[in-house]
Amino acid sequence: MIPAKFDYTRPGSLDEAVRALADGGEDAKVIAGGQSLLPLLRLRLAFPDLLVDVGGLDGLRGVRDEGDTLLIGALTTHDEVVHDPVIREHCGLLAEAAGTVADPAVRHRGTLGGSLAHADPAGDMPAVALALNATMIARGPGGERAIGAGEFFLDYLTTALAPGEILTGVRVPKLGPGWGYRYEKFHLTAQAWAIVGVAAVARRSDGHVAEARIGLTNMGLVPVRARGAEEAAAGAEATIEALRTAAGRADEGTQPPSDLHGAADYRRHLARVLTARALAVASGV
Amino acid sequence: MELEHSFTIPVPPERAWQVLLDVGQVAPCMPGATVDSVEGDVVKGRIKVKVGPVALTYSGSARFTERDEQALRVTLEASGKETRGSGTASATVRSSLQDEGGGQTRVTVHTTMHVTGRPAQFGRGVIADVGGRIIEKFATNLAAQLAGGGQPQAGVAAANGTGPGAAVPGPAAGAAEGSGAAGPAGPGAVPPPGDGVLELPVEDLQLPVRAFNSLRREGIHTVGDLSARTEADLRAISNLGPQSIKEIKRKLAERGLDLASPPPGSGPAAESAAAAAASRAATAGGASGAAAELAAPPMGRPPDEDAIDLLSVAGFPVLKRALPLAGLLAVLVLLVLRMRRRMRRRRAASAS
Repeated sequence: MIPAKFDYTRPGSLDEAVRALADGGEDAKVIAGGQSLLPLLRLRLAFPDLLVDVGGLDGLRGVRDEGDTLLIGALTTHDEVVHDPVIREHCGLLAEAAGTVADPAVRHRGTLGGSLAHADPAGDMPAVALALNATMIARGPGGERAIGAGEFFLDYLTTALAPGEILTGVRVPKLGPGWGYRYEKFHLTAQAWAIVGVAAVARRSDGHVAEARIGLTNMGLVPVRARGAEEAAAGAEATIEALRTAAGRADEGTQPPSDLHGAADYRRHLARVLTARALAVASGV
Repeated sequence: MELEHSFTIPVPPERAWQVLLDVGQVAPCMPGATVDSVEGDVVKGRIKVKVGPVALTYSGSARFTERDEQALRVTLEASGKETRGSGTASATVRSSLQDEGGGQTRVTVHTTMHVTGRPAQFGRGVIADVGGRIIEKFATNLAAQLAGGGQPQAGVAAANGTGPGAAVPGPAAGAAEGSGAAGPAGPGAVPPPGDGVLELPVEDLQLPVRAFNSLRREGIHTVGDLSARTEADLRAISNLGPQSIKEIKRKLAERGLDLASPPPGSGPAAESAAAAAASRAATAGGASGAAAELAAPPMGRPPDEDAIDLLSVAGFPVLKRALPLAGLLAVLVLLVLRMRRRMRRRRAASAS
């Protein structure tokens, strides 16, 4: 399919990009790797008047170690995330999950920022950003602002980014000593979206899980935290049985979709099973 | 998909009934709806659904299929086709009123909805959820409309925050009709370009935000300012692409206006430049195809935005396919030439 006509601009600086986007209003759209947007254009489900290509903004690429946090540029591709030694050392969950995104071709072009800004609840990175307590850094006409992952995903494919704002990077707190992580993704074909995904980080001390954070993929219109299971896991013994019990609350408060790939009940079941597995690996059981 | 909503409003059933019967007042309760015309019981219009980058526009009509005054029940059937695709959407909205006494009425809205085509398959069925939320908003708006006993639409839009923003010609817009030239024009009627039109601010053209911002930066504030510019002037403005210019021309045409033509002295030159651009577009295909399209004379009907100019989009790949054929022809010609030369030589040899 051939997309409908649109105007295209490739600014050389972030300021220019912000201005072009702000002028474009609601009908302008940022394009980075294009791995989510281009299919929408080709299916003629999206009709932006203007595409602002941020691919030329090299400042938005790469990883910076800020001490307690990592600042990952929005244009860093999934493949770069998978192989970056700093990310692997301090935020391994991000690298592990990025390695499950679609296929190598998509991972080489698709970007972390694009994946988050697209806010597909079936995408892997949004749930990971939730579990890692990441902060989104956005630049708009009014300057820079930081948005917590918990406040970032508002609705299906809709984020807290204002029409003129560009996601420039993601600030991720380093996982300290004692923390483990795991991304469990259930899908039927290797490159498919997750039917359900579970991103978990847990800190273990004295044979117990001291605290855990769990993000769920494709369990609602937005990626969600499994608060019930987090509560139940905190203080639980680090044994399979105890974690399985805690994971029994993983689907609390979720509204999973029913579709060709699975009914809502099936997804709830998957969420519980996968959460138990993810917690077990994350807490080193 | 079936949905049911019910709410109680503080007006007696008879009053709510009158509002419920007026399709011109009910239809705009649909979020994102624009009413194009109201003729008797039939409303024609469009509904724009926007979810993140996904934007769908359905155009179609709605009409009453059942009106039972005894049971206080009405059925509204709406169906539409995607304007830029082949999908369809239809809904049957059955509303009934129940007297709860003390001037209170209970309203039940039962909706059956069908969505077909790509949007129905996209996003693992989530569009259905979106549809559900749209109907929910419709019910909320309807509640406000009924509670107001048919107040002007603006009240509902304001109450809703992201209100439908629908322009309602006909009964509900009665008040606006008195305000003269600035009032909304009736459906289908293109007003002659009176003096007043040129004084209107550019805002009134309801251009896309980007086009509007770019024009304002160039000091173009009124419709008169705009129509004094030529197309070349507009093209020179940064951030204003062919798509935006097309939109501006369309909006001007709605008011019976057009962009200025180039000054008489430069007329032929400009024309030949346009022709050159067109021929360049034809040979090069691709990007300059848009320029050729702009140079085309304005048509009575706005050009279909989605019509694909195959030659400009896929000209090169198509031509590429012709390469083997051209090669074959060249080889044949060579062969023929060579045979002729050989025959001539042989004839010359036998003659000597």
